[in-house]
Amino acid sequence: MNKSVFVLVALVLAFGIVASAAAAPAYPSKPLEIVAPSGAGGGWDAIARTLNVTLEKEKLYTQPMSVINKVGGGGAVGLAYIFQKTGDDYETVVYSPPLIINTINKTFSQNFKELTPLAKLITDYQVFLVKADSPYKTLADLLAAVKKDPQAIKFAGGSSPGSMDHLAFCKVAKAAGIDPAKLVYVAFSGGGEAMTTLLGGNVSFVSTGTGEAKGQIQAGTVCALAITSAVRLTGDLKDIPTVKEQGLDVTYEVWRGVFGTPGMSKPAKDWWAKTLKTMVGTPTWKEMLTKQSWADAYANGDDFAKFLDNEYKSYQELMVNLGFAK
Amino acid sequence: MEFIQHITLGFGVAATPFNLLLSFVGVFLGTVIGVLPGIGPMTGIALLIPVTFGMPPASAIILMAGIYYGAMYGGSTTSILVNTPGESSSVVTCIDGHKMAKAGRAGPALAAAAIGSFVAGTFATIMLMLFGPLVAKLALRFGPPEFFSLMLLGMTVVTSLAGRSMVKALFATLMGLAIAMVGIDLQSGVQRFTFGNIQFMDGIEFLVVAIGLFALTEVLINLSELKTAGKVEMESIKGGLWLTKEDWKRFWPSSIRGTLSGFFVGGVAGAGAAVASFVSYGIEKRFSKHRKELGEGAIEGVTGPESANNAAAGGSLIYLLCLGIPGSGTTAIMLGALLMLGLQPGPLLFTTQPAFVWGLIASMYIGNIMLLVLNLPLVGMWVKLLKVPSYLLTLFILMFSFLGVYTMNNSVQDLLLMTLFGLIGYGMKRADIPASPVILGMVLGKMMEERFRQAMVISDGSLGIFVTRPISLGLLVIAVLAITNPYWKYVIQGVKKLFGNGGGATPAAAA
Repeated sequence: MNKSVFVLVALVLAFGIVASAAAAPAYPSKPLEIVAPSGAGGGWDAIARTLNVTLEKEKLYTQPMSVINKVGGGGAVGLAYIFQKTGDDYETVVYSPPLIINTINKTFSQNFKELTPLAKLITDYQVFLVKADSPYKTLADLLAAVKKDPQAIKFAGGSSPGSMDHLAFCKVAKAAGIDPAKLVYVAFSGGGEAMTTLLGGNVSFVSTGTGEAKGQIQAGTVCALAITSAVRLTGDLKDIPTVKEQGLDVTYEVWRGVFGTPGMSKPAKDWWAKTLKTMVGTPTWKEMLTKQSWADAYANGDDFAKFLDNEYKSYQELMVNLGFAK
Repeated sequence: MEFIQHITLGFGVAATPFNLLLSFVGVFLGTVIGVLPGIGPMTGIALLIPVTFGMPPASAIILMAGIYYGAMYGGSTTSILVNTPGESSSVVTCIDGHKMAKAGRAGPALAAAAIGSFVAGTFATIMLMLFGPLVAKLALRFGPPEFFSLMLLGMTVVTSLAGRSMVKALFATLMGLAIAMVGIDLQSGVQRFTFGNIQFMDGIEFLVVAIGLFALTEVLINLSELKTAGKVEMESIKGGLWLTKEDWKRFWPSSIRGTLSGFFVGGVAGAGAAVASFVSYGIEKRFSKHRKELGEGAIEGVTGPESANNAAAGGSLIYLLCLGIPGSGTTAIMLGALLMLGLQPGPLLFTTQPAFVWGLIASMYIGNIMLLVLNLPLVGMWVKLLKVPSYLLTLFILMFSFLGVYTMNNSVQDLLLMTLFGLIGYGMKRADIPASPVILGMVLGKMMEERFRQAMVISDGSLGIFVTRPISLGLLVIAVLAITNPYWKYVIQGVKKLFGNGGGATPAAAA
């Protein structure tokens, strides 16, 4: 009898060990944190929360999940946090072009290339706006005027020089053979402020994201000379010609993607590759994109990594030219 | 027609159940803050800013404005019953209000204060409604140079926040400017005074400074006076609350005088609610039919100043919303809060955020009526509040301060900074350095610098842009007049002397 009890116990134990050994690699088995490197309400926060809601609603991530805001330093606080968690498979973070820009200008002390790119998710584009009664009717008009006298044409954006609003037009100008360092940029603390300065006739044009421009474009107070997408958008903004169709081979994407920690394990990486691919096809995700007027720009981890390499080179070149690279 | 549309839009926003509730919470808390001597509207609003995160901006301002004008009502209660002003703007109400209470007329005194406040509050709201859209018509003509000149004009408000010493006020303003410098500079993208600390890159949060300097300082002051605080002696309310026929007859002239003088002196001229109440008392002393009774418990000594401080509060809200200039310490805090909500108060606000502005205006009508109800039949309840021991109150403020600042960014560094500012604030209070110019410097200084440098880029570096554009020039002239205001009388005296001595002979020759 003693013996049989022993055997039974041994069997149960053995089974338990085997079972738990089998369960260990089954990712995910723990709560997940999605880090938003901005405060609630910012762009990074919006994508982090959308990701959270979709994964939960579509039952793709069955463990608890939360978005945490690591605010400060244009994303530096969030990046420092993620690097502290190196190798942790249950930490993810969302970023956009400032990840690259702030690496090149040395605002970030870490190298973003050590992060594990999981997927590029969505993208937004820049538009160049003039007042409805402006003498410039096309991008070519505007560029010709800038070429003639760069000092006379001032343009405004909603962020510091050397960040997206500024760099987007610099990239276009450079392709048109204009030295971007000669452009005169006025920085405002938000696209809305830049827009009212345009409407008041204080600057010639504004470079801003489509989200901020939409209302004014529809109201007819401003006219969008060009959008930086590869092909025209559909929907409300379908009438805006691309930079490309106006003869310059330039696109500018304000992408947003999700990353794992440096040194994320292979099983976790594989799980995310599969899951995010499924996620972008779900009705919840699609509904969220329409609601926020975001364009789907899904690319898997490997393609995303290649994309980031190209972006890095392009930004590096532009920012060296402008003196922002350190 | 446009006008009716605006008002309908406003009530549509203000009369939603959520906003009605917030309006009620605002005026309720405002009254509490007004009644309690230890805590003022600046502290109250600073503490509540974190609660407004995630609310629509209209709801947030409805709450904050409710606290602001609610405190003006509540402040009079303690003045009348305890002879201790709940707010600096109710100091003068003590004189006649408390005498009335001693004479067994506490009821009419409280009623006169509340009704006077109501009349003035409603008047200020109507002015905001009429005046705002006029300013808004100029809105698009405000580019960076105009804004810079406007901010400069706003900076001259410091003379009215100064209290006794102008030098100390300027010191505090400079301190605010220095704090605003920390972080990444907008025009160049360069880091300033961050000392390599990544959390400093976005600058020092306005709320950290505001809560530190006001709420924590209040706590420290309360704690240091805990032992010496005596027992509160209170007059009871005898008899009815209602005014007699004779009271009514004396009420109207003084209330109207108080409202007008408060609105123009305290609001439009930016002297603040406390000054407005003193000015009104002075006017009553000079022009009232019953001026001889003033100081002995005359009703005019209550209605005048209480109308004036409410009208001044409304007037400075006009400044804040239409021009983005804080006319008082409290509106400086509110400006910071609005900026945090992503709104830029100023001439554009009426065009870009009509629902916000008209919602606020409508809520002020509703709030003033709520306050009348809260402060008249329920006045007995507020009086009981004074029995809350001050150590309990202190604990509450402490708890809300830390909670509020931490929820903002989940940052421990913010908590440490706030504590530091609390200690600095305590030191400043002991040295009699006013704290509100710090807020003024911090909020206006940052915008002023940005606007200045934007204007410089636009003008290719020429300062002429500020004087060649008519609106900007006009604002600069007004700013110069505002700063030199205290010295005019010497100039006028001098001129008079010159002409008085006249007849061709110079003084030297006459001697």
